[in-house]
Amino acid sequence: MTLIKVKDFYKIYQMGLTEVRALNGVTMEIQENEYLAIMGQSGSGKSTLMNLIGCLDTPTSGDYYLDGVNVALMSDDELAMIRNKQIGFVFQTFNLLPKSSALRNVELPLIYSGIYSKEERMKMALIAIEKVGLGDRMHHKPNELSGGQRQRVAIARALVNNPAIILADEPTGNLDSKTGVEIMSLFDELHKIGHTIILVTHEDEIAKHAHRTIHLVDGKISKDENIK
Amino acid sequence: MYFFLENLRISITELWGNKTRSFLTAIGIVIGIVAVTLMSTLITGVDNLFDKSMSFLGRDVVYVEKYPWIMGDDYWLMRNRPQIDLEMASKIKAQSNYALVVAKERGRNGDVTYGKQSAESIFVHGVSTNYPLVSPIEIADGRFFTESENRARSQVLVLGYEVAENLFPNENPIGKEVFLRSHRFRVIGILKKMGKLMGAFSLDTQVILPVDSYEKIFRTQWGMRRISIKVPESEMDNAIEELTGVIRVLRGLKPSEKTNFAINQQKAFEQQYSMIKMAIGGTGLVITIMSLIVGGIGIANIMFVTVKERTREIGVRKALGARRNIILGQFLMESVMITGAGGVGGLLIASILSYVINAFVFPAQMSFAVGFMAIALSTFVGVVAGWTPARKAADLDPIEALRYE
Repeated sequence: MTLIKVKDFYKIYQMGLTEVRALNGVTMEIQENEYLAIMGQSGSGKSTLMNLIGCLDTPTSGDYYLDGVNVALMSDDELAMIRNKQIGFVFQTFNLLPKSSALRNVELPLIYSGIYSKEERMKMALIAIEKVGLGDRMHHKPNELSGGQRQRVAIARALVNNPAIILADEPTGNLDSKTGVEIMSLFDELHKIGHTIILVTHEDEIAKHAHRTIHLVDGKISKDENIK
Repeated sequence: MYFFLENLRISITELWGNKTRSFLTAIGIVIGIVAVTLMSTLITGVDNLFDKSMSFLGRDVVYVEKYPWIMGDDYWLMRNRPQIDLEMASKIKAQSNYALVVAKERGRNGDVTYGKQSAESIFVHGVSTNYPLVSPIEIADGRFFTESENRARSQVLVLGYEVAENLFPNENPIGKEVFLRSHRFRVIGILKKMGKLMGAFSLDTQVILPVDSYEKIFRTQWGMRRISIKVPESEMDNAIEELTGVIRVLRGLKPSEKTNFAINQQKAFEQQYSMIKMAIGGTGLVITIMSLIVGGIGIANIMFVTVKERTREIGVRKALGARRNIILGQFLMESVMITGAGGVGGLLIASILSYVINAFVFPAQMSFAVGFMAIALSTFVGVVAGWTPARKAADLDPIEALRYE
């Protein structure tokens, strides 16, 4: 089933007198339970594409059907709801709230979904945090956790609302290579149990975990290949 | 409600995490709230006191005296005025159309003793028999003296409430003999408890005796002397004008000569009083407005810093699905929490101060309405001060915010 359908995506920034075409006509489809890596040099437009797929931004022109709904023209608040329900973000720098425990961090998206029962939220957060193997550390604050553990918390937070897509932006960029491998095998597992995963990376090693890679050059898709 | 509670939780955590900063930020508000609550408490206190005090003076009585009650720098011009001659009283009564009752009063401090008990430095008050008609005093026990006792210069007196309590802790004073300036006086009456005039001069620490007996004992010119005249309340101004004329004639003043006595009335106090009230109110208001403005600016400032510091956090929250209004609410809540805490702190300090004033200075109670107003005011300042920073946070672009280092 087609989960994401991007059609003629343009993102044009006006920098003074010059026009910068960050995305210059991108069209693609992503199926449910795909494991996809978006690759490209910096400036290739991969971050812009990720932001658009993640509903953090809207295109200058083009359509974006997410699960059959065109989200390209939605208001900021509507996009916030889409992000909350349909997309789980994993960032290079983890982006956990430093003063909150691991469990509280994982609970956060549920608060914004309006799940009013604390008990219900805790139950869901616990399931997510156990999925990433951090059940014994859930009451620790981020600064009491290692980099790998922090990224696991971030992944649990991305999972907790059971989103359609998990969107990971250089998820191993701040980790040593051994920990990076651990985190990638966690993504492999999540893919196996049915999640759709989109990685944004410039590292071939990371991209190898994916089953399909899309290469971007100058805001256009230069190569779209299935690896496995 | 749900997001309200969630934001409340976040705010408390954040403010608690920055205790010193939150505390310092709230001080301005604390001062403002203390100023405004204390001001209104003081005004109410002074109001009560004044109303009570004024009932001692009588709205329909004017007092002919050497000096006016409210004096400026002109004391030196008045000190050579002649003493009030109490013998004018009967002539005033005869010549004035307005004077209903004309009473004589003299007084000075003295000691009264009974056996080993003594009441020192109390007010010895010599008055004419009609004095009760121009004064609010009431007899609790016994009686007032009669005109024949006055004429006979009888050595009788009426005790003020506190004097009676001190001299006769366990006895009925009526009929007992006390000493005043080594003269033997018989107690014929006791006054009801009166309280204090403007919180200072107590009407309960006096003894009242016939004015003629007073003059027999105290031969000096020294001490208070005045003529108290009851006039129709509605004709106060006309009465004062007429009485001024009558007394000028009695004193033989030529039209070119200045009036060399004063006719005092309660109104003079009222004017003085409303000036005091305005001074308290004005000072309080200025302090309040200044400190709330300065405090509010401080809070706005610290909120801008907070928003800046937590740009990344705002980005994360937005990425995870926080809507604009939730972010707005979160930072508004934080600002209101600071001012609210400042308001509560200010109220607490003000109520302690009110309690101290009430216990040691004069009756002053903080009203519920004032407390409510203080909290409402500090909340208002919080919303106003926090509005722009909170809007800035709510309007942040999530991508920019997430990238912020």
